Amino acid sequence: MTVIHDIIKSNADAKMRARDVSVFYGNKQAINDVSIDISPGYVTAFIGPSGCGKSTFLRCFNRMNDTIPTARVTGSIELDGEDIYGDRMDVVQLRARVGMVFQKPNPFPKTIYENIAYGPKIHGMAEKKSELDVVVERSLTRAGLWDEVKDRLDESGTALSGGQQQRLCIARAIAVDPEVILMDEPASALDPIATAKIEELIDELSGRYAIVIVTHSMQQAARVSQRTAFFHLGKMVEYGPTSDIFTNPIEERTKDYITGRYG
Amino acid sequence: MSDTVLNDGLGPTRTPEFAARMRKRYRAERNFKLLGLGAVVFSVSVLILLLANMLVNGIGGFQRAEVAVPINFAEQQMVIDERLLETPTAMQTLETQGIADTVQAAAQTAIGEDAAGEIADQAWREVAQALINDTALLNGEQVFYLPVSSDLAQGLAGEGSAQMQALSKTLAEEGKLAKNFDPGFLTRADATSPQQVGIWGALKGSILTMLVTLALAFPIGVLAALYLEEYAPKNRFTDLIEVSINNLAAVPSIIFGLLGLAVFLTIFPNMRSAPLIGGMTLALMTMPVIVISGRNAIKAVPPSIRDGALAVGASPVQVVFHHVLPLAMPGMLTGTIIGMARALGETAPLLLIGMRAFVANPPDGFTSPATVLPMQIFLWSDEIDRGFVERTSAAIIVLLLFLLLMNGLAIYLRNKFENTW
Repeated sequence: MTVIHDIIKSNADAKMRARDVSVFYGNKQAINDVSIDISPGYVTAFIGPSGCGKSTFLRCFNRMNDTIPTARVTGSIELDGEDIYGDRMDVVQLRARVGMVFQKPNPFPKTIYENIAYGPKIHGMAEKKSELDVVVERSLTRAGLWDEVKDRLDESGTALSGGQQQRLCIARAIAVDPEVILMDEPASALDPIATAKIEELIDELSGRYAIVIVTHSMQQAARVSQRTAFFHLGKMVEYGPTSDIFTNPIEERTKDYITGRYG
Repeated sequence: MSDTVLNDGLGPTRTPEFAARMRKRYRAERNFKLLGLGAVVFSVSVLILLLANMLVNGIGGFQRAEVAVPINFAEQQMVIDERLLETPTAMQTLETQGIADTVQAAAQTAIGEDAAGEIADQAWREVAQALINDTALLNGEQVFYLPVSSDLAQGLAGEGSAQMQALSKTLAEEGKLAKNFDPGFLTRADATSPQQVGIWGALKGSILTMLVTLALAFPIGVLAALYLEEYAPKNRFTDLIEVSINNLAAVPSIIFGLLGLAVFLTIFPNMRSAPLIGGMTLALMTMPVIVISGRNAIKAVPPSIRDGALAVGASPVQVVFHHVLPLAMPGMLTGTIIGMARALGETAPLLLIGMRAFVANPPDGFTSPATVLPMQIFLWSDEIDRGFVERTSAAIIVLLLFLLLMNGLAIYLRNKFENTW
């Protein structure tokens, strides 16, 4: 049984809408009938204990689960009313509209410039060098990395520090101007200072994109998100405004998790 | 009981027993290090011994015994129209004009009748070739260095009959006979006399064969590896393919020769001994090695890079060509060079498709008869004439240098493509 807070129920405006989504790995069910609306302009956090399926669920939103041969998704997920698992949805286009940042920073072993320019180039968004220059500068500026790397754009992206690499990956994701950004524990491999910078960045980006973030850290969810969904054992237990989930949860299991009784 | 009293107050790491165990551990480590060092020293010294031996023997192979014969064509009453020397049939023209006799006559005046008789049979061809290359040699006196017969060459080396040894001694003292560096060894092809053989025919054959092998095995191997790793579904059929490829890499090379004989020579019956057929046969042998190393290289590309590319909306083909292939390229090149090096040294499959024939001219192209370096070494090592011993060593040096060049190129390419992540 999923508890959805009234404020969310009354908000009909949804960027992405998942209905009865189940995910199977072979015969094992990882996600069980989850329905959720992702609101535009907000940061939505998925929290829950390890192995509860929150990352698996996140990867359904840009069909990254397609790369796992045994994974099977049922139910429907809509992006602006269009079924992303439907025949008419092109997965390449979908991933340009729904970007993703991973747990471990994974810059391409190419220069910083090429890391950012790669997406716009393959989608034909910027053809000329001058156009690409603009996109690269804008993306790096938005990711708060421009001042740190503007003099060494031709150095390898892998030569940056961990926190810088992760911001580079965020810049790479926003370079193709997505509508939604998925973040799978983006700060779990980083030190506290780098984490703070990433959280600041998420905050700055939140008005422009719908952001969905999976996180292990409840403090992080409380700091960066406006909406929080609590997952447990492949099911969504409770979904509501972050402040309500953390101060006034309805479900007993949510309360136990928030207060640190398990997790 | 007494032990506990002795060690009273000391922790378990400060007892004499512990110190003894530590010494034993260090001793074991030292022994292991020495053993490893010994193995390295042994293999390096064997390698040096081998190379030094090859070099000492092989240096002589790049030289040959030659007599200096001054020839004045005008004096020998041989008048040749220079324009005739520019036609393709110049060699035949010179032959009918009696250039062989002219050379012989000049040699008799220069070094005496006995010695002139010991000039190699076809030596006049070298004179004729020199004339064709430079018609100005027809005017005035020119000194030609002509190869002597195998018998006289052995005499010079202090072997063979006493008569030859004496003759060579006199000639050498007069400064008319000497072992000179023989640049022609690198430009001629096989011959019956060790004095007149060259390695270029076999080297060119090897180069042409390797080009065919590379052109076939590399793209097919890389594409097969990419398909099997990136696209092929994992089922019983692809498992079977994988097992077959692994087995193919272990099949004795002579079997591939039989395949080449049975299939390629049936399809192209007129191309016996051709580098094209040799290259195709060796490509069959090299391809599985490239597929296996290519698949391993592709597997080693971190999945996070693939995910990153997919997440910005790259299509599967773009992921392969923009990310996976460049990152896997160094590994693929290493596999390719291992396969190519093996193919370069291969003789058995080429025996069966006729590449062991005596080929006196360097191959003109991919379809003309040729032999390859290891085959040439094999053929020369089988010769009775002792002059071939040095030539064989020289051929081995050429083969090793060629191999070194190929490996050097591969290492250069690998470093160029090398990426870090």
